[in-house]
Amino acid sequence: MSPNRASRDVAIVAAGIISPLGRDCAETIASLRAGHDAVSPVTSFDVSKCRSSTAGQIQDEWLDCFVRTRRQKRLHRASKMMIAAAEELAGQDRDFAPELIVIGTTSGGMTFGESFFRSLIRRENRPERAGWLANYNPQKPVLDAMEAAGFSAPSQIIANACASGTNAIGHAFSLVRSGECDRVLCGGYDAISEMVFVGFDSLQASTSEKIRPFDKARTGLVLGEGAALLALEAFDQAVSRGATILGRVTGYGISTDNFHLTQPHPSGIGPQLAMERALASAGRNAAEVDYINAHGTATAFNDATEGAAIARLFNETKTPVSSTKSMMGHSLGAAGAIEAVISLLALREQFLPPNINFCECDPAFDLNIVANAAREAEMHCALSNSFGFGGTNATIVLETVHRMN
Amino acid sequence: MTAHIQGMGWITPLGADLDEVWQRVMNGDLPEARELAGSDADRKHFYVPVPQKLVESLARNPRLRRSSAISYFAAAAGLAALENAGIKMTPEVAAKTAVVFAIASGGVVYTRKFYEQIVKQGANSASPLLFPETVYNAPASHLAALLGVDGASYTLVGDASVGVAALKLAEQLLATTEVEYCVVIGAEEVDWVLCEAYREWRLVTSRPQIEIGSNRGTLLAEGAAALVLGRTGDVALRRIHNGGSFFNRRQAREAISRVHRELDDEVTTIVCSANGTFIDKLESAAIELTRPGVHVLKPKAHFGEALGAGALQQTIAGVLGLARSDADAALISVLGFNQQASGVVITRASR
Repeated sequence: MSPNRASRDVAIVAAGIISPLGRDCAETIASLRAGHDAVSPVTSFDVSKCRSSTAGQIQDEWLDCFVRTRRQKRLHRASKMMIAAAEELAGQDRDFAPELIVIGTTSGGMTFGESFFRSLIRRENRPERAGWLANYNPQKPVLDAMEAAGFSAPSQIIANACASGTNAIGHAFSLVRSGECDRVLCGGYDAISEMVFVGFDSLQASTSEKIRPFDKARTGLVLGEGAALLALEAFDQAVSRGATILGRVTGYGISTDNFHLTQPHPSGIGPQLAMERALASAGRNAAEVDYINAHGTATAFNDATEGAAIARLFNETKTPVSSTKSMMGHSLGAAGAIEAVISLLALREQFLPPNINFCECDPAFDLNIVANAAREAEMHCALSNSFGFGGTNATIVLETVHRMN
Repeated sequence: MTAHIQGMGWITPLGADLDEVWQRVMNGDLPEARELAGSDADRKHFYVPVPQKLVESLARNPRLRRSSAISYFAAAAGLAALENAGIKMTPEVAAKTAVVFAIASGGVVYTRKFYEQIVKQGANSASPLLFPETVYNAPASHLAALLGVDGASYTLVGDASVGVAALKLAEQLLATTEVEYCVVIGAEEVDWVLCEAYREWRLVTSRPQIEIGSNRGTLLAEGAAALVLGRTGDVALRRIHNGGSFFNRRQAREAISRVHRELDDEVTTIVCSANGTFIDKLESAAIELTRPGVHVLKPKAHFGEALGAGALQQTIAGVLGLARSDADAALISVLGFNQQASGVVITRASR
């Protein structure tokens, strides 16, 4: 018995996004074009004992726009983000009915878990406790978004650390391409929490300065948050029902780097394998890629390994590279999904999103960084990278509708 | 594409040997509950531990030296399943192997310890050694490293139905990629803060035993289960349900009934997920509706509620039951607390 060899084109028929860069696709495009720095001081918990004190945060007022019922008010902000992204997506294609939902996340409603723990050790019998627990689980924001958008489908929730969102899209793509499914809703979400913020701080991975991916003077990451969703559908079926096709997912690569729980292999073999496998899956070569949305966390280790891998694979082509985390921070399980939507928007609008706060490229790798300002460009094919703790690496390939095989 | 079971391994409160544990289940042996209390908690809880000796042999493994109990359970079950399958992990085999992990609470012990340091000692005192082990995919990463897997590794989170979702994802990987083997693992550990949370939900009992059908609550349990899946094997995962989501308990009743209706194969045994909570009644109603009088096995009475590992422990119990009877097919019925109902039909491959 052999695997299913069917290979169908996979259309993106709708997208939804909320991040520090904007409440929807239109606001996100404007922020990307402007090179908006959406990182701001953290106020929701005490950061006085941390190295870092900033993050890319979604304004509470933005989330309140999506709250309509008393029950929704009690939801975790992760649920509100997912509702926002799901409603934008559903509004673009009212006929899209997913058979399966595949979502990536790392920490669910973590801040509610923190509140529960604090109430326990203070021996406070708070009436909110039951609500905190009910909204703490990673599956809850997914269910809340489904309910708000009127979707009813089984869900798979992938927690592959910072690669979760890309893994979710990649797996959804594989299912549609192979004919296992016709329509899959996929994406990722994560909300900032004290525990995760301090976690990265304790590893000395976060910075007190600006986030400068691939810069010689980079000093670390800042965290972010958000949610993004894509509606994937078998291309022919989407065409036959008259859906608007925004773009395509054409390739997916995954690799696991067993070097260390938190550090990538210094050679960059993990990212390289993920990118090579994604290109092979898409039937593309390096010369056909017009833009790379890098994982680019601005930590010493990540950028060194990813930079080396990109430099090796794209040595001849000098393909433009940017890390949009420079504008909004690292949103962990949401990052891959947000960056997939950003790559899609860049392909549709024909511009290269910038890598802000950039001064001088690390001499260890020679990359064509889209430095500080967005650039107009003719683009057909983009690569989006995500790498995470546990040595998990994932890359997807997105293309315009126009460049069909 | 039908996935087949090639090997199995488990770590349960009743032991780790497949035959021995099965015999104890058949004898009606119950797990020994232990008391657990946090220094900051007023209440004591009961939970079901696994005997530490079951994972002692892994203690000197360098990759696991700082990891939490959950990674030990996962590694022990995964390695046992591969041994049971007769698979030796060479680099060539590893290149064709994927890891799919099912988890509900994950590394809850280190998560609680890490956050406790933040709250009590300040953010600047929180240990960088603890944080990485709090990440959901840490156990999967350790196992992938032990096996040398450099390809697909997925960790799925969810309620107790997540084990079935993991089987489904593995089936999808076998159907859509070049992967030859999928090691599907579920594992959980227990901490007092987890017991507090489930107590707050009124889902755990204050007594040292699970009383199925009582709705007094379950006992959280440590444990793990692993299945090696491939495209051939003696037992087939004939149909793996995608799962039916629900938003409340009324919908949960409908969801589990729908799963039982849609998995309409003729089966002689149902391995159910009854655990002493509201689940018992809903699942029992679904059975009465679709297959009244069928033989029902309730393994969680013997293993406790090991959440992410639970559905895979049920599946192994189903396979062992098939092997020791004239039965051809069994239904693994799974209802989680707050996400999905799901199920799997397993059959002899020759059927």
